[in-house]
Amino acid sequence: MVFFIIMFSDLECDYINPIDLCNKLNQFVLPEIGAHGFLTLLFLVSGQWVAFLINAPLLALNVNKVRLSNHMYDATEIFRTLPAHKKEAFIKLGFYLVTFFYYLFRMIAVLIAEGDA
Amino acid sequence: MSDPNQQQLPPGWAAEWDGTHQRYLFIETATGRTQWEPPVLSAELQPMAPTSSPPPSNVHHAKRRQYAAGQTQAYYGTESTLGSGGGYPAPPSQQQQPNQLFTPGLAAENQFQQQQQQQPQLQPGQQQYYGGVQPEPEYINGPQYGQQQQQQMGTLADQFGQMNMGQKGLRLYTTNLLTSPPDPRELHNPPPEIVLPPNSCISPNPSANADPSYQRCTINAIPTSNSLLKKANIPFGLVLTPYRSLKEGDEAVPVVTDTVIARCRRCRTYINPYVQFIDGGNRWRCCMCSLSNEVPQLFDWDQVRNAPGDRWARPELNYGVVEFVAPTEYMARPPQPAVYVFLIDVSHSAIQSGMVATATRTILENLDRLPDEDGRTKVAIIAFDVSLYFFSMPPGTTDSSMLVVSDVEDVFLPKPTDLLVNLAEARASLEALLGRLGDMFKENHIIGSALGPALQAAFQLMSPIGGKIIVLSSSLPSVGAGALKNREDPKILGTTKESGLLQAASPFYKTFAIECSRGQVSVDMFLFSAAYQDVATLACLPHYTAGQTYFYPAFNARTEDARKFAHEFGEVLAQPIMLEAVMRVRASKNLRMSSFHGNFFVRSTDLLAMPAVPQDLSYAIEVQIEDTITAPFVVFQTAVLHTTCYGERRIRVVTTALPTTGNLSEVFASADQVAIATLLANKAVERCITHKLEDSRDALFNKTVEILTAYKASMTAAGAGASAQLAVSENLKMLPVLVLGLLKNVGIRQSSQIPPDLRAYAQALLTSLPAQLLMPYIYPTFYSLHNMSPECGTVGEQGVILPPPLPLSSERLERHGLYLIEDGQTIFLWVGRDAVPQLIADVFNLPNYEVLRGGKTTLPLLENAFSQRVNAIVQKTREMRRGPYWPHLYIVKEDGEPALRLWALSCLIQDRSDVLPSYQQFISQLKDKVNGGNY
Ligand SMILES: [Zn+2]
Repeated sequence: MVFFIIMFSDLECDYINPIDLCNKLNQFVLPEIGAHGFLTLLFLVSGQWVAFLINAPLLALNVNKVRLSNHMYDATEIFRTLPAHKKEAFIKLGFYLVTFFYYLFRMIAVLIAEGDA
Repeated sequence: MSDPNQQQLPPGWAAEWDGTHQRYLFIETATGRTQWEPPVLSAELQPMAPTSSPPPSNVHHAKRRQYAAGQTQAYYGTESTLGSGGGYPAPPSQQQQPNQLFTPGLAAENQFQQQQQQQPQLQPGQQQYYGGVQPEPEYINGPQYGQQQQQQMGTLADQFGQMNMGQKGLRLYTTNLLTSPPDPRELHNPPPEIVLPPNSCISPNPSANADPSYQRCTINAIPTSNSLLKKANIPFGLVLTPYRSLKEGDEAVPVVTDTVIARCRRCRTYINPYVQFIDGGNRWRCCMCSLSNEVPQLFDWDQVRNAPGDRWARPELNYGVVEFVAPTEYMARPPQPAVYVFLIDVSHSAIQSGMVATATRTILENLDRLPDEDGRTKVAIIAFDVSLYFFSMPPGTTDSSMLVVSDVEDVFLPKPTDLLVNLAEARASLEALLGRLGDMFKENHIIGSALGPALQAAFQLMSPIGGKIIVLSSSLPSVGAGALKNREDPKILGTTKESGLLQAASPFYKTFAIECSRGQVSVDMFLFSAAYQDVATLACLPHYTAGQTYFYPAFNARTEDARKFAHEFGEVLAQPIMLEAVMRVRASKNLRMSSFHGNFFVRSTDLLAMPAVPQDLSYAIEVQIEDTITAPFVVFQTAVLHTTCYGERRIRVVTTALPTTGNLSEVFASADQVAIATLLANKAVERCITHKLEDSRDALFNKTVEILTAYKASMTAAGAGASAQLAVSENLKMLPVLVLGLLKNVGIRQSSQIPPDLRAYAQALLTSLPAQLLMPYIYPTFYSLHNMSPECGTVGEQGVILPPPLPLSSERLERHGLYLIEDGQTIFLWVGRDAVPQLIADVFNLPNYEVLRGGKTTLPLLENAFSQRVNAIVQKTREMRRGPYWPHLYIVKEDGEPALRLWALSCLIQDRSDVLPSYQQFISQLKDKVNGGNY
C-alpha cells in the first residue's frame, strides 16, 4: 500500500506516466485481493470469528469490484479518479496496520496463555 | 426597448414620449428646458449623436404602432398573448380574413390569389406566398436594430464608466426570465467584452487577445478568490478550439519563422502581448509568474533582411494566436510524414449498402486533396471481413496484389514492404486498386467483422511512424481481439441501467487506444450499421486518440446518404492535420487546470497527448482558483506543440488575458453563456457515463438553479426571500434555454426510445463540437420561409441573407407554412398540411401537397425566384459553420410519417414533449426551486 501511495504521488508530480503506473500497479491488484481472500478464508476455517468478521466487509468490497470488473486501474481515467484512489489506498493501509497489530496481539495472547498452562 | 430613459441620458435629463409627434421629448429637469434632439454629455459623445439611438428609435416606434399589438408582442412581449399560433401574419391579410390561420385549403387559396392581385406592384416578378406578405420587413429591421442599439448602449455605458467613475468594468443589466422570452439572435452576440486594465497590453492590436473562436473563458472577469467564485456559482473553465479551420475572410494565424522563441525560465510561458519589458528593454517580466527574463539576443534582429528589426512588429507581441516554427530542441525525432491507413469493411452488409463503393470513390476523388505538400505522405489500404486483406503496391507498377491473412488471433503482416506506400510514387497502382476494390468483393457474402485484428495490423504497419487510421465499418466487431456482443436491450432503455450501455463494453478499445496514443496513431471512426454497432465502445478509440467519430445509421448509398458521407469524408481527408501533438494550458499564479474534457489522452497532470489534431474540435478545461489572486489581470496560454502535415515542427500559442475583479456584479456581467453551456455539456456527458443519465440531468438542472439562486441572493433586492421574478443578468438570459436544450438533446434526454448508438453518437458530438456548431445542436435554428421578406435568400453584403430566426416553439407553425428547422447536423423542411399548390410547385416541382413525400431529399433548383432563394438558404445553412458536417435535408409533412414528424418537432425545444417541460414550465420549475431553496 505504501508503494501504491508513493506511485500515486509520483504521478501527481509527473515522475511517471499514467500508462506505466497502471501497468505496474495492476500487477499487484489481483495478488493483493487473493492474499486477503485467502487469509480471510483461513480465519473462517480455523474458527477465528472476530478476525473473520473484521475482514469480511473488505472481502465483499473486493469481490464486488472484481465482479463489476473495475478492480484494475484505468490509465484513461486515472487523473479523474486519482483523489479517490489515494484516499482508498490510505484507508486500506490503515486497515492493514490495525488488523496486523490485532493478529499480533492475539498471537501473543495465545502464546502467553499457552505458557501459563 | 428604445426608451431613452433606460439608456444613458446625461444626469439631469429625462425623456418623455410625445404622442402627437411620435417621438421623445427631452427635458432638462433643472431648468425645464425641452428639446427634440437627445442631449449629449460631452464633446467625446458628440460624434456619436447622429448615429445614436433616439432618432431611429422614433421611426421604429412609429412603424410598430401601425401593426396589431399581437405581432410585436409575439416577439417582444409575454408568451401568454401569443395564443395558438400568434398574430404572426402581417396586418393586411389579417384585416381581410381574421381567421385565416385555420382556414383550410380553399379559403387559403382564395387568399393567396387575393394577395397575388393585391400586391403585384410590390414585388414585380416575385411571387409572394400568402400568410405573411409583408410590405416591409418590419420584424427584421426591428430586432436587428435593437441589437445595434444594445451594442451602442454597451459602448455608451463603457464610455460613461470610463469617464465618470474612471474604472474598468461591465455594467450589469438584470432581466426577468418570466417576462422576457429567449431571443435566438442573442446567441450570435459576441461574449461580454474583456475590459483589461489600462497598459496591461503592450500592443494596440485588437487581436492581441485570442479570438473567442479559438479560446474563451466562461467568465471574462476572473473573481479574485475562490469564495467569490463560490458566491457567483458560475462554472469556471476554458473552452478552446486551438486548431480552428479558416473560413473565407478569416485572418490566417501569423507565423514566427526565425525560431527565436522567448520563454519564461521558470514557468515556460511563451512571450506574449501581456508581458512587460523592463531594464531598458533588455529583460522582460513574465505575465504569469513575474519572473524577470532576458530578452534573447536575436529577438530584435530581422533574419530575413539581416538587419536590425522592429521588436514591436513581432507577431508574438501583437497577436493572441501565433505559431512558432520550432527549432530542433522541440523535436524528439525528425518530423514524421503524414500517414493514412484506411481500414475498409468489405463484409456483406458493407458491400450491399454501397458503403465500399462510395468510400473508395471518395478516396479516389480526394487523393489530390490529401495533404502532401512535401511528397512524403504514405498511404495503405487494408480490407477486412472476418479475414484481413492486405494490398501490396510495389512502386513503379500499376498493379497491386492482394494478400489474405485469415488467422486473426495472432495478427502478422504478410509482407514487410510495399504495404504502406508513398502516395506520390504509388499513385497509379493506388488509383487502380481503389477503382477495383468494390468489384473485387462484389460477391462477398461473409458476415462478421475482425475490426480488432485489422486495427492491430494497421498499428503494426505504421507504428514506427504514427499517423492516422481511418476506419470505415458497418458491422459489430465479431471475431478476434475486441469482439463485441450485441448488448442492446430495449427493456433497460430509459432505466437507471441505461448508462451501462454508454460505457465501453470491452477493455480492448481503451488499452489499444493507449497503445495508439503512445505510438502517435490517431483513429477516426466512420460507422454505418443499420443494426446495433456499439458506437459507445467503438467511440472510445477516437476519444482517447484525439480522433473523431462519424455515424451514418443505416447507410444506403442509393439515397442522399452517399452525398453526405462523400462530402464529410472528403472534408476530413482534405484537412491539414497536426501530428504528434501535445497540448498544455498554462495560467497565471493561483489558477490551476483541474479537469479536462474532450478527445485526447491525459498523459500527465496537465499534458494532453494528441497523436493527431483534427480541425474544429473543441476541448473544455475546468479551472480552479487555488488562492487569492492579487494581479490586476490573469493570462491563460494554450500551447500546442505539433508537426504539420508538411513536415515542420511548430508550436501554436493561444493567449487570452482577462481582468480580475473583486466585484460580484462584474463576475455576473462578464459571464459568457455560450462558453458555460459548452462546459456544462461536457460535464453532463461525463456524468452520464460515470453515473446515471438521471444524475446528469439533475446536476444540470441544479447547476442552473444554483446560478440563479446566487444571482437572486446577491444581485437583486429580494435577497434570500421569495420573489415573484426570476432575475438573471442580460448576458446570461439564454443560459436556461440552453440548459433546457441540453436536457432535451438526444445524448441526455429522458426517454426509453433512443437507441444507445444514437445516444452515444450524440454524446460524442456534445463533447467535441466547437461552440459554433454546438449552439445550434442544442438550440436549433428555426426559420419561416413562406413569408420571409423578399431579400432573404438573396445575396447581400455578408453572403446569403437568412430570415430572422424564430423562437423554438410549435406555436409558430402555421398550417399553410413552409419552415426550416436545423441543428447543424440535420435540416428539416416542414411543410404545413394546407400549403398551397403554388408553393409546392415552386419549391418541389410537384402539383400539390398530397403527392409530396416526406424523407431525405435533394431540393430541385427551379426556374423561379422562390425556389432559388430557398435553395440558397439551405446551401448557406450547410456552409456557414466550420467543420466537415453536411446536414441531410428532410422534408417533413405535417401529417406525414409520425417518427419523422416527432424528430423534427423534438428540435422545437421550447415546447412540451412527453415528460419534458416546455420552456415556460421549465422556467417556473427553476423559479420554484430558486425561491424554495434553503438559502
Ligand atoms: Zn513565468
